[in-house]
Order: sequence, then C-alpha cells, then structure tokens
Amino acid sequence: MKTITAYKCNKCGLVMYPYHDRCLNCKGRDFKEIAPTSKGKLLTYTVIEQLPWGMDERGRVLGVVEFDNGVKALGLIKDDAPRIGMKLKVNWEPVREMGGEEIFGLTFVKTK
Amino acid sequence: MRPVVVAGVGMIPFERRDEDSLMDMLATAGLNAMDDAGLGDRPIDSVYVGNMASGLFNHQVSVASALVDRLSLLPAAADRVENGPASGGSAIKNGFLAVASGFNDVVLVVGGEKMREVIGPKATDIVACMTHPQAEYIYGVTLPAMAGMFARLYMEKYGVTREHLSMVAIKNQTNGLLNPYAHIQMKITMEGILSHPQSHINSPVVADPIHLYDCCPVSDGAAAVLLTTEEIANKLKKPLVTIDGIGQATDTHTLQERSDPTDLKAVTLASEQAFKMAGIKPKDIDVAELHDAFTILEIAESEHAGFFPKGEGAKALERGETQIGGKLPINPSGGLKARGHPVGATGVAQVVELVWQLRGEAGERQVKGAANGFSLNFGGFGNNVLAFVLRRKS
Repeated sequence: MKTITAYKCNKCGLVMYPYHDRCLNCKGRDFKEIAPTSKGKLLTYTVIEQLPWGMDERGRVLGVVEFDNGVKALGLIKDDAPRIGMKLKVNWEPVREMGGEEIFGLTFVKTK
Repeated sequence: MRPVVVAGVGMIPFERRDEDSLMDMLATAGLNAMDDAGLGDRPIDSVYVGNMASGLFNHQVSVASALVDRLSLLPAAADRVENGPASGGSAIKNGFLAVASGFNDVVLVVGGEKMREVIGPKATDIVACMTHPQAEYIYGVTLPAMAGMFARLYMEKYGVTREHLSMVAIKNQTNGLLNPYAHIQMKITMEGILSHPQSHINSPVVADPIHLYDCCPVSDGAAAVLLTTEEIANKLKKPLVTIDGIGQATDTHTLQERSDPTDLKAVTLASEQAFKMAGIKPKDIDVAELHDAFTILEIAESEHAGFFPKGEGAKALERGETQIGGKLPINPSGGLKARGHPVGATGVAQVVELVWQLRGEAGERQVKGAANGFSLNFGGFGNNVLAFVLRRKS
C-alpha cells in the first residue's frame, strides 16, 4: 500500500513527519525513511462542519493518529463516533479533489 | 539600543467595508496615526506594512510601495512584512528595530487586511494556506479545526468547559460594545449561545468543540502606529508611551510534532523575552491584549504568558479577574472576538489599544490608571508568536 514517508534520525532516533532538513532534536542530517505501521491510536480529533471552498460536505472528522511505530500524522477519520485513544487501521485513499485531480492521503477506520 | 516611543496611533473601525479598497484602509489608518502624533509635514524615513495575503484576497501585491505613493511619503523606504496572523506584530518589530538601532528616526507601521472581498469559504481556504501543504492542507484542515483539536486536549487536561469558552465570548463582546472600532456590536448571553436547548441554532458547531461564538469574525480593517525617538517625541504633543520589550519565538509547523500539543511553547518563550527585555514581570501588567482568534486561546495564552499558572486561567476568568475592573483586564477592546481579526491588522490594533489605555484615552473601556500593557500576536497555530510590553513614561 502506498503511504506517507516518515523519517527516523540516524543519530538520535527521533521519528519525524513531515520532512525536516535537520533533526528537530539533534540537528542531524541523515535519516532513514520509514513507513508508518498499519495501526495506531487517535490522539485528538475534530468534526469540521464548515469546510474550505471547494469541499462541499459537512461533518468531516480529522484527527491526529500515533502509529504503533511512533509516527504521528493528521488524517481523515472515517468514523461517526470518534473518541480519543480509539484503535485505528490506516488506508491510502482519495481525501480531496483539487483542480479536477484526486488527492490521496491517510484515512483511518476503527479496528481492534 | 535607544528607546522607541509610540508617538501616534490610528485605526479605522473593523467591519465589512465594501466601499473601501485595501489601500483606502491602509492609507486612512496611516494618516490617522500621523495626525494623532501631530507629525505635520515632517518626513517619515521608513514604512512597514503588515499584511498576510493581499495577493490572494485582493489580487494586489507590493502594497507597501503603493501605500507610500498614496500617502506622499516618497522617497521613504517601504517594505511589506508577511508573517501570517502575526504579520502586524512582525511589522512593528521591524519598525522598532529600525528606530532602536539608529537606522531610522521616524517610522510608520500599518497593518491591514481586506478579507471580505471573497466569500466565507474562500477566506477559510486562504487562511488554511498557512498549514503544511502535504501533512495538513490536503485533508481540508481549517484554522478552527486546529483550534478544535487543541481545545479538545486542553479541555480534557485542565478541566476547561464549554461554559468557560462562552464566558470569554460574553466578556469580550461586552467589552466590544464599549469600543466604537469593534466589528461585533452585540450583547450575548450564556442562554443564547450555550445553555438554552436551541442555542445551537445561534451558535452552531464550526469544528467541534469550537462553535460559532468561539470564533473571531472575518473582518476588513487597518491600524497604524508611528514610531520615533524620545527626542523627536518630546517635540510632539502626545504623552510618551514606549515599547520596552519585544519577544518572538517559533514552534513546529504541525501540531502533531509537538511533544505536548497543549503546550504553547512559543507563547511562553516570546512572553519571557518581552518581560526580560522590559525588566518587569507579568504581575506588573495592568492591561493585556491577547490573541483570542478562538476563545480557548485567550485562556491558554493567559497561562502561557505567565499571568496565571497552567489550569488556572479559566478559574481567574470565572472569578471575573479578567474583566475591565478586575485584577488583570484582558482584551478590554473586545479582542479579536469582538474587534475582529483582519489578519495583518491585528498585531498593530493590539498595540494601538494598549497605547490608548496607557494614555488614558480609552473612553468607557478605560482600565483605570493603566501604566504597563502587554500584547500577544499569535501566528499560525502558535508556530510564530510575538509579545510586546509597553509602558507609560511618568
């Protein structure tokens, strides 16, 4: 499955996403590219009722997920009853249309 | 560095201003500040314009060059300063440095934004352009959504309730009624925005748990300050108010990369720097203008700036300590919530309000005897923050 690329600092081990040219902790410049694991937990979320121009929908749930390998990322939560701490499984799907093109990103559904 | 005096201040009422272009607003606010100082036809060395997104909102760029032309300030130096919602604060910092360093003697700083030229969802999109393009923006994240995710964690950690958030909105809209420059002139009640079974019709969810009345309005407006040396200010007519402290700090672009997303580190650091430079402490402040783009931010900033311990901001609010007449009045102007938030104007408007307060010119919303003021201009979602300490010279 296609997914995001996160970065692990070769010097101090800090896991980062998105990309930085120097490590946020030790200023190191060498990173190992890592993929997030398939599962994670929800750290916080919001339900957006007023979306930006070009997105004609209501009740879109966005949240920050911490994957089991420490990668943290924002994504689209496909669940009507989100709660902090819930276990989620990741997918890579269209999250938005921009300029007639489908943009892919992280989506999440509830799992055990 | 030599002392820097705010010798003149000017504003135009923040509202929806269909009749005015961005340049009309910047020019009027600038002239108001020059006239307030009694500058007459003396030359101005340099002009800084705080503006976030004139290219996107108004299809006009190079607005500082256009402004010096409008105001017949040629050949003054002119720069536009863009730093998201902290553009106004950054413009003042640049003006301060120009005078403090001796590079310039007289500097005009104008902040402004004309946001209502586009429809609401378009404005939401333009503001969302400050988020990370790949890690945030593509998901449809908005600034209220960032505030929603932050508020959910903050409320859970510190026991802040929706009632507390509503108390901020009610206080600031009550203050706004005393400010002729405020966009929102409407008294609201707890029943109307929270406790009545049908209050959700008045205050619907924007990005849960953030409701409509937790958000600042989308406004057009401009504000300006004239900065100069003590020597020149003494020849002008206004009581001396000086910028004694400035702090600025940054934090990670995305919320998720902060080890504790409820910790607004840049607010703490910027405030500490400003207090250190001014040589005073948070307890010495008589009046504060905080960046309440969302009600939760006033509470969180009041703690991170050092006025209250973490978790105590909401309690101080409950006790009425942050009302006009309380121990530390916060946002007597009405704040962003009531005055409005034309993004590039806000950091300048906050300093304008402090100057009016410290000179005793704030009319019905005057904080009695205010001598020391503090303002906080919060850019991004806390990833670029400026703090200012202003003092009245006795």
